[in-house]
Amino acid sequence: MATISIEGVTKSFKGKAAVRDVDLEVADGQFMIIVGPSGCGKTTTLRMLAGFEKPTQGVVRIGGRVVNDVPPKDRDVAMVFQNYALLPHLTVEKNLSFGMRIRREPRKTVEREVAAIADMLGITPLLGRKPAELSGGERQRVALGRALLRKPQAFLLDEPLSNLDAALRAQMRFELKRIHAQFPVTTVYVTHDQVEAMTMADEIALMNEGRLQQVAPPERLYSEPSNAFVAGFIGSPKINLVPATVLRDGSEPVISLLSCRIPVNGDLGSVLERMDGDAVTIGLRPEEIQPCPAEANGTPVVQGLVELVEPLGSETHVTVRVGQEILVCRFPPRSGLETGATINVRFDPQQMKVFDADSGLRLG
Amino acid sequence: MTSTSLPGQVAGQDENAATADRPGGSGSRLADWRPGGRKLIVSAVMAVIGMAFLLPLVWLILAAFNPHATSGMSAPAFSFTNFRAAFQAGAGSAIANSFYLAGVSTIVATVVSTLAGYVLSRHYVPLKGPILVIVIFLTGLPVTLLLIPIYQMFVKINWLNSPFYTSLVLGATSVPFAIWLLKNFIDQVPRDFEEAAAVEGSGQFQILWRVVIPLIMPGILVSAILTFINSWGAFLIPLVLDSSPGDTPGAVGIYEFITANGQVQFGPLAAYGILFSVPVIIMYIISSRWLSGGFSFAGGIKG
Repeated sequence: MATISIEGVTKSFKGKAAVRDVDLEVADGQFMIIVGPSGCGKTTTLRMLAGFEKPTQGVVRIGGRVVNDVPPKDRDVAMVFQNYALLPHLTVEKNLSFGMRIRREPRKTVEREVAAIADMLGITPLLGRKPAELSGGERQRVALGRALLRKPQAFLLDEPLSNLDAALRAQMRFELKRIHAQFPVTTVYVTHDQVEAMTMADEIALMNEGRLQQVAPPERLYSEPSNAFVAGFIGSPKINLVPATVLRDGSEPVISLLSCRIPVNGDLGSVLERMDGDAVTIGLRPEEIQPCPAEANGTPVVQGLVELVEPLGSETHVTVRVGQEILVCRFPPRSGLETGATINVRFDPQQMKVFDADSGLRLG
Repeated sequence: MTSTSLPGQVAGQDENAATADRPGGSGSRLADWRPGGRKLIVSAVMAVIGMAFLLPLVWLILAAFNPHATSGMSAPAFSFTNFRAAFQAGAGSAIANSFYLAGVSTIVATVVSTLAGYVLSRHYVPLKGPILVIVIFLTGLPVTLLLIPIYQMFVKINWLNSPFYTSLVLGATSVPFAIWLLKNFIDQVPRDFEEAAAVEGSGQFQILWRVVIPLIMPGILVSAILTFINSWGAFLIPLVLDSSPGDTPGAVGIYEFITANGQVQFGPLAAYGILFSVPVIIMYIISSRWLSGGFSFAGGIKG
């Protein structure tokens, strides 16, 4: 059990930075998920925690100890690999006990603990088999068991579910959470799948192009994205990012969005006051846009053309074209809409997220 | 001739071959492709080449069992006289010496090449590219070129007439090829296995011993068998470096059957040849089994 801290870490490969100036704190027992698109540096960050890569700059601490120069074998962390990395020449039992045998633990202890873990993971019948004779889910369990037997200070998981099919993935998500509840070991989990991140994490660290974008619990990451990239990455269907302009109506700033002029006040108003004429990007979640009659009072209403209707059973995703812009909306099921129809939609200005058009940073 | 248009047609239809929409299926495709006349010529050429290899072997077997063997084809007979003569002439100790030379050189060459192959495959080595080019170049270098300087070196450090030091040189001649072979095997081992072992607490040598070596075992065995066969048949190096009569290995010992005035005892020579070949034939059988058995990491990773 330990805290993990990454302080000002940069990692360059042949002069190209894969990870840039990342600061990340993982509390003791926390389930931290690093998420981001491919090539964002998340795996490199994890490999620096495991000791496979050395930071070009900055400090990595595990349990308060600086581990920059500590080889993987002395870091006391366990890792689950994307492709499981079970040793093909060893049986499941030998794979599970590999680390304990390396550490020369007494045979009795090894046998007892392997049996206990195998029982917990439901892989006891597989102990005599070789990895080639296992299914993907079984291999994943063996890899998890091997990591658990390590009794590490921290778990590192590198996209452990990405090679499984959808049903098995959902089941393993549940099992991983259950295991973490049972053994609350500090965990750093890397994935590109926002569903895994949202459903499993205590906190999510979202990365892009080597930089940390935001660290927050799942729901806050969704409701309070710190920039347009975070807003766009989290959520499915994606958030609608619509260009808009800040104007002035008398003393009050207004946002000119689609065909609407939306007055802004409060904190955001004071920020936008100084941005007269500047471009901004407005983020509207699909569920924040609702169909409405032509004249709804109070809220902005825009008229558009239905381009695509995707009924999912529990809800319907409707793509609406408003002028040059596309809005994806999440409507209730059986909306009765048809492609080509004209539709009025409204949204609550309180819910819209305003980002700077250039930097993408959240303004309010 | 219709066959000239066929190759293109065959290539075009290759993807459809699985659907077997052509009459006769894939069996007839081969027949179409090689009309009767050409097939006959190919078979005839193959037969001639085959005979060239087979006839000496037939002679060897017939002569070995015929007490009155000559350089011509002997009549089939069944006598162990020649084998007895071969043993009396020292076949037993010569083969034992060959086992010693081949065994020691195999162990030395395999250990050295495995370590070198691992380092060249996995670690940062300055000038790795040029080193690998030199290694490949050395695979093709005739040992004869090196023999005179090696002999002089052996004279200087007083290593002559020692089977152990001779086997070191024999092993060294196999090292370049073995390094090249094993490095390629190690290159195929996914690094994830080693990283998994490392986080489990293995140090460098434990990773090598418990992960890499078991995974490249087929490669190590192939390399060891090739080294063994190479050293087993070595003639010039043991002849030059170890001239003490008791150390004569098999390939040199064959001279026992050729007398000073050019007379050859064909029967015992053939019997000796068979005795000397048996271990190598066994090795070939084992190695071919390992080679065809293949080399895979199935199940360990998926990706």
